[in-house]
Amino acid sequence: MESALNASFEVLSFGAVIVLVVLGLGVIAGMMGIFNFAHGEFVLLGAYTTYLVHSFGLPVWLGMLVAPLVVAAIGFVLERLVIRHFYANPVVAMLGTYALGLVIREGVRSLIGGLYLSVPEPIVGSLTIASVQLSRWRLAIVLITTAVMLASFLLLTRTSFGLRVRAALENPSLARASGISTNALYAATFTFGAALAGLAGALVVPLFSLFADLGIRFLIQGFLAIMLGGIGTFAGSVVGAAAVGLLSAALPWAVAPMLADVLVFVIAIVFVKIQPRGLISGRRA
Amino acid sequence: MRGEIRDGRIVPMIGRRRFLQSAAWMSGAVATGVSSWVFQAGWANAAAGPIKVGIATDLTGAIAQEGNANANVAKMVVKDINNAGGILGRPIELFVVDTASNESVAIANVRRLIQRDKVDVVLGGITSSMRNAIKDVIVTRGKTLYIYPQLYEGRECTPYIFCTGPTPAQQCDEFIPWLMKNGGKRFALPSSNYVWPRLLNEYARKVIEKNGGEVVFEEYYPLDQIEFSAAVNNIMTNNVELVFNTIIWPGVGPFFKQLYQAGFGKRGGRRACVFYDENTLNINVPQEIEGLASCLDYFRAVTAEDAASARIQAEYDRQFPGKILFTAGGAATGMYRGLKLWELAVKEAGNLDREHVAEALDHAKISEGPGGPAEMVPGTRHCKMKMYTAVAKNGRFAIVARSDGLVDPREC
Repeated sequence: MESALNASFEVLSFGAVIVLVVLGLGVIAGMMGIFNFAHGEFVLLGAYTTYLVHSFGLPVWLGMLVAPLVVAAIGFVLERLVIRHFYANPVVAMLGTYALGLVIREGVRSLIGGLYLSVPEPIVGSLTIASVQLSRWRLAIVLITTAVMLASFLLLTRTSFGLRVRAALENPSLARASGISTNALYAATFTFGAALAGLAGALVVPLFSLFADLGIRFLIQGFLAIMLGGIGTFAGSVVGAAAVGLLSAALPWAVAPMLADVLVFVIAIVFVKIQPRGLISGRRA
Repeated sequence: MRGEIRDGRIVPMIGRRRFLQSAAWMSGAVATGVSSWVFQAGWANAAAGPIKVGIATDLTGAIAQEGNANANVAKMVVKDINNAGGILGRPIELFVVDTASNESVAIANVRRLIQRDKVDVVLGGITSSMRNAIKDVIVTRGKTLYIYPQLYEGRECTPYIFCTGPTPAQQCDEFIPWLMKNGGKRFALPSSNYVWPRLLNEYARKVIEKNGGEVVFEEYYPLDQIEFSAAVNNIMTNNVELVFNTIIWPGVGPFFKQLYQAGFGKRGGRRACVFYDENTLNINVPQEIEGLASCLDYFRAVTAEDAASARIQAEYDRQFPGKILFTAGGAATGMYRGLKLWELAVKEAGNLDREHVAEALDHAKISEGPGGPAEMVPGTRHCKMKMYTAVAKNGRFAIVARSDGLVDPREC
């Protein structure tokens, strides 16, 4: 019983981490058709910003508030200068964002001197429920992820901004003919995706410590999640992320860790073979 | 690698500049900077020309922190030797190349060191995979002497390769009995899945069982795993008393954090990790690794009890202030030892012939070094040295036990 409770909490909290990371990736891929290979590095930038704020002697939570804004600003500048030239050609976009990611990653590596640096949690300690220790910060991440997910969902489905984004996604030329600036929308969407990545990085850095390769592992899991969830919908990437997160956190409880790592991919590939359009198929085939 | 050498100058060689090279698509390849430098002695006017020492280490990539410390130590020792008149009346010229934490880049650079620069000895390599990648280029095809400075899993018995870092015997024989006296009998061996943890665990298990202990579980994780809830749960539910960890970064920080949060330390559990030094202490906030024990040939705290160590540490800090620390976990102490032993061997041999130097190096001894004296065990090409057990207290290592004399490497 204790072990089961403990296991479900750990699985849930890691699932939340993956959802948080994949959300931004999913928004950009789903709304703009761009596979942002620099997403892992946006996560890294969020983590780095948090570390930087903390190293100035300011509280960690302040860093976590600042990080999404900083990464959003960087995302906005990159979109205006670089990314928007890639929209016509998704393959070039992949290579281009990969190169961007490489530059950011190596830049951060030299800034932190290749070190592994700790960032303390803003909320320390654990809750003891039925003699099981639940880390307060992991609990906070689960709650924040839920809130961010809801807010993003409402933004895209209940606001006029969301309506315009969805219109631009559905039929860009008609949207432009109706007076919607798809150009501005894409910039806003990319900035929003970057901000989500920055937030994710800021929230997970106390768990995993800051190092230059922090984003890479999440990137692979992120793409797996999008493949699994289906491209073109917001819900798809969230469901996919939850599936990958839960799967990769739960499998090591059941089988040997080396096997679990591979099994996640095997299961995902088999699933996509059976259900090629993902868990929740997009409106665009 | 900044030009702060005072009695030498940095001469960039033809066509060398840093460039980014992407390796494997989608697997998140790392970028590597390829570079090399030559540090010439200021008085390179001896008739026979300078003696050439090659350093091949990870100046860039995932373990650049350690690699740069190795290069710094080499610069410091070589400068010292040159100031004292060189070896056999000849100055030493240092050739530093980057192995870039990438074996294919390393082989090309080391080949250049051997074929173009024609160095008389090569020191370096940190990971075992790096040693295995470059040793053939140096020793077999290059017919050159190779000194490997890092703590490792043992069993490197190739002729002309000399190992100056600790072996499993040196890190386990005294450490594990100490752990059992100060922690209990039930061990867990969580590990990264590669050669060093597997062979170290094989040895550690023997020592544990010989001393009446028990290995409750031994498990291997992918190298990039950073989530360990299942492993931590296993440790907590099986009443493990001692965690002998060989998970490396990036996983080691999150692992110790999760272990702390699960209350392992609070219930009296002891953590041990034999590559933990002053660099790795920063991965976690101090309370998460309070009480963690490590066993190495040197800790900064040794400077309080050994005058030679204090002098070396002070000199290093003076020449290289900043974030690149002089520590034992990343081969910097082995590098110091290796260069000093080699210096004595060349002096004894009277020339640079590989056979003669190897013969002299086989029984070389230094009376002073980081952590104390050291000597090669004849016929084994491994090094006896003093070993220290240290415990993390409030973010620093404090020495709690030390070997009586020099500990035998028990290799080859």
